[in-house]
Amino acid sequence: MPVNKNALLRYSIIDRLVRNKYKPYPTMEEIIEACLEQHSVTSSETIQKDMNHMRRPRPIGYNAPIYFDRKFQGYAYSEPEFSISSLALSSEEVGAIRETLDLVKMISGTSMSEKFNSAMEKVLSITFEDFPEGEKKQAILQTMQPPKARGFEYFELFYSACREKIPVSFVHYSYKKRKFNSIIIHPFLIKEFENKWYIVGYSEKHASIRIFGMDRVYAPILLDKPFIKVANKKTDDYFHTMYGVFPIPKAKKQKIKIRVSSLATNYFQAYPIHESQKIIKFPDGFSNITFQVVPTIELVRLFLSHGKQVQVIEPEWLIDFSTKLF
Amino acid sequence: MTTENKSLLFEIPKLEGSRSNPRLLRVIVTSTFTRIDFGYTTPWYYESGGWIKIAAKTHLVVSGNEKKFLLKDTEGIPIAPKKMNFESTEDWQFFSLFFEPIPLIDCELSIIEKENPTEKDFNYYSIQLLLSEGLTILG
Repeated sequence: MPVNKNALLRYSIIDRLVRNKYKPYPTMEEIIEACLEQHSVTSSETIQKDMNHMRRPRPIGYNAPIYFDRKFQGYAYSEPEFSISSLALSSEEVGAIRETLDLVKMISGTSMSEKFNSAMEKVLSITFEDFPEGEKKQAILQTMQPPKARGFEYFELFYSACREKIPVSFVHYSYKKRKFNSIIIHPFLIKEFENKWYIVGYSEKHASIRIFGMDRVYAPILLDKPFIKVANKKTDDYFHTMYGVFPIPKAKKQKIKIRVSSLATNYFQAYPIHESQKIIKFPDGFSNITFQVVPTIELVRLFLSHGKQVQVIEPEWLIDFSTKLF
Repeated sequence: MTTENKSLLFEIPKLEGSRSNPRLLRVIVTSTFTRIDFGYTTPWYYESGGWIKIAAKTHLVVSGNEKKFLLKDTEGIPIAPKKMNFESTEDWQFFSLFFEPIPLIDCELSIIEKENPTEKDFNYYSIQLLLSEGLTILG
């Protein structure tokens, strides 16, 4: 029979108190008080039962060597390093999990984040303290949370397809061409860029790696057919060599040089946009910035968003391209 | 898995001599329904993109079979007399029609909205479904 969440919480409290080297030998009253602080209603009988359960062998109990020390009038483990949690997370590690949880909640609304929440709830309940169930707390971490985009409901399906290596059939609508197409993709990556989600994989129709905005995807269906695996190096290189997601057709990785005002230089210095970024600063504060990347639509848009503060100087064709895009 | 309980997906290439809008994209044949996926883009010649609807009597006809496989449900398109109005000549709509299950055999499939169709009716003829080209759906 599964142990209920309140019992798990009490076990973790008992374990934490008994292992506390700064305040060893907790008394029954102290244990009850700690449980009450964590909103777990309890009594000495319940705690005794909990301790008996903890003493039972695994997997039913925890094999906990808990005993009452008559000399110190409190409870302790006969093996000082014992913990009911084989994970034995430190408070810093628990803190790191909580921060991660906050980040995962940014992808809220998917059952995946619910599953992750539930899994972490179990981990935290046997390691440290109560999990803040439904508690309204002040957010201390905030990222952009735009309203849910169309197609995001397929996130979990594509995530599973990437993980389990399952080809997917879907219908794609091209905004630019105003055209529907039936696509079969062998997906390997879900990519987020500027709050937009993309699915990346080998497209049978295009016989190459392609990227599709999830907002333009309709009715994905998992297929039972052999998965076409793209070499790891290719998949790793795909995005490392670019800023953004949509490469300019036929453009290869190359050196791109921009002339940047002193004002805009500050931003490029503070927020480098690519690992290849190199800044050569001049006495007047202006700079030349170079990148070794596959040019993308997003890169050109970024340059254009700075207006006169940023000018493309190399290569020649990109100057023309930027003018046309503007 | 036997053919009887297998679900197959057929990608439909652009049909010669058939209407291209709505574009017929996929046919999915299962033991409980036949689903047909379409993509529609609003044309320039209708004010604000016009509207779409599907006749309740729309059905499928399979070569070598006299039975009419009736429309059971839709997604993304209303059944007449209801209709869906577009807002512009740049709109689009993905929709699916669900019919009674057709036999899972090599066949030619026709979608009939009206026996004597006008330009506004969605009739598609002789869509070739070959089992060897069907893709097995997982699950």
